[in-house]
Amino acid sequence: MKKMLRDHFNLSYKNIRERMSRSILTLLGIAVGIMAIVSLIAIGEGMNVAVSSELSTLSDTIIVQVGEGFSIFNFGQNGNSGLDDEYLTERDISDIERIPGVKDVSPQLSGAGILSFNGETVGVSLTGMDSDIMKVQYGFEDLDSGDLIDSGDQNKVLIGYDVAYDYFDANIAVDDMVIINGNKLQVHGIFAEFTGGGLTSSDDAVVMLTRDYKKVTGESNIKSATVTVYNVNEVDPIADEIEQVVNENHGDDDFASATTLSSILDSILSILGILQTVLIAIASIALIVASIGIMNTMLTSVMERTREIGIMKAIGATNKDIMLIFIIEGILLSVIGGIFGIFLGMFGSQGISSILLSFEMGGGGTFEPVISIVSIVLAISVSLLVGVLSSLYPAWRAAQMSPIEAVRYE
Amino acid sequence: MSKDVIVTKDLSKTYGKGELQVHALRKTNISIKQGDYIAIIGPSGSGKSTLMNLLGCLDTPSTGKVLIDDTDVTVLSETKLAKIRREKIGFVFQKYNLIPTLNAIENVALGMGFAGVDTQTRQKRAKELLTMVGLSHRMKHKPSELSGGEQQRVAIARALANDPSIILADEPTGNVDTLSGNKIMNILEEINNKGETIIIVTHDPAIAKRAHRKLRILDGVVSEENA
Repeated sequence: MKKMLRDHFNLSYKNIRERMSRSILTLLGIAVGIMAIVSLIAIGEGMNVAVSSELSTLSDTIIVQVGEGFSIFNFGQNGNSGLDDEYLTERDISDIERIPGVKDVSPQLSGAGILSFNGETVGVSLTGMDSDIMKVQYGFEDLDSGDLIDSGDQNKVLIGYDVAYDYFDANIAVDDMVIINGNKLQVHGIFAEFTGGGLTSSDDAVVMLTRDYKKVTGESNIKSATVTVYNVNEVDPIADEIEQVVNENHGDDDFASATTLSSILDSILSILGILQTVLIAIASIALIVASIGIMNTMLTSVMERTREIGIMKAIGATNKDIMLIFIIEGILLSVIGGIFGIFLGMFGSQGISSILLSFEMGGGGTFEPVISIVSIVLAISVSLLVGVLSSLYPAWRAAQMSPIEAVRYE
Repeated sequence: MSKDVIVTKDLSKTYGKGELQVHALRKTNISIKQGDYIAIIGPSGSGKSTLMNLLGCLDTPSTGKVLIDDTDVTVLSETKLAKIRREKIGFVFQKYNLIPTLNAIENVALGMGFAGVDTQTRQKRAKELLTMVGLSHRMKHKPSELSGGEQQRVAIARALANDPSIILADEPTGNVDTLSGNKIMNILEEINNKGETIIIVTHDPAIAKRAHRKLRILDGVVSEENA
């Protein structure tokens, strides 16, 4: 039987070579479909890796805030979506500090303020936080200019892109002095324009250290707190406990929420996953079209070779032999196309990702498309399957041909 | 007395239905012995090809039977018929009918492949057969690179490949010049001298005259003609 298969293979191969240009066009169809799938998987994997590596360093962090907290639905908008007049209390903070496993609690204060520059005045929302929380919150966002504030700095402020370039007639530059609620502060850094890469939009932000915030506003309204834990594995139960403790303090089951960054990561990854699935489903349409192409080519080939099929039957080929010859032909076409498509996909995904990066879709971040063994194996098995499925009908038609065709005079 | 290789019993083939019915072959009873050299003659449309297709297991009769080596082939499955075709019958067609993508050796070896003969044996036998038909210098040539006469000789080699009991040749010299036709007939007769049964369908009286036995068909009726 093995020797037989080699003959069938030989016949199929010779036939493909005989009809070279048609075969190449047919397998190009498959190549394009496989290319689309391989490059989409590669880009999706690359994005997963990029997002995971950006966020996984923060997996020991819990963000506690009034209201619904971070979720994928208000992601990219300002996360502080709670009611304006409700705040965490000092008691909440000290209760959280007492929960076993909690390493550090940094409250984040916020409220309204008046910002003056060059004689103009604008109302802004002010945020005060510790410098290490600043690093967590804004650490992976690019700065347009300047630096984040160190814990030893005094009277320094970070402002958002819009605050610097939109709010006033004159642009604010690093080291310029601004006046907030009558206090002089020096601009230490300006956030780059928000593109979706960070956790919340920083375009309207006015950020300073807790100490300066209290001095400037005379208030200590805690909108949110950032909690770190000792053991990353305990982060979820601790988040639950924090929520419980704070809600109990305020007698409201929905008063505050504690969100772990890993849960944000999970929801980003699941959104990416859905997106990828949809894209791959769309790419699969290309494959369906390609397999119709194979079927068409094969049916034409069957018709053209009516006589040849008859001859083979006359000299003793069984229906099974004939079917095998055509199925192998279909498999050869689609697998060669598939391998071609994998190579195209490797280059294609590089190309697509550099185009994406040139649009700054990655929020200034960067990612490399990942071609895994799994996606290569998947691509080959899909093209194998396409080959078999699309050649079944033509092969069956061929097998049904009568050997009399061989001796019919025309 | 040698044994019968082909026996037909009331073999009939009818095409179409009702008014349009065409009786291509009517109640034919013939028996062909091992080593016979038979010419089937008759004008075109007389039923020669129908008889040939039935004897070669390419077609199934409307009524009656064909026995090949005492096996009733009219009741066999497609797969069993394929087996009979590759083991007992060798075809030579008027238009050679070689596979255009395969060279001479591969064409001769193809039928052996379907029969499951191993590659080395096939190569060896294909070369022997091509040498026998005088084509040792043309083994790697494709059909398109061969003359009509040469193609027909490749076809004869292919017909002989599986050592069949019967060679069915349908107008084997119909498409070649006289000289090549003569060569082809000589080869067929040489094979016959070795004990092979040869059945030739022809409308060429000169070819028919060379056969040991003549069957004439007229309007689907077969009659023996004395040589």
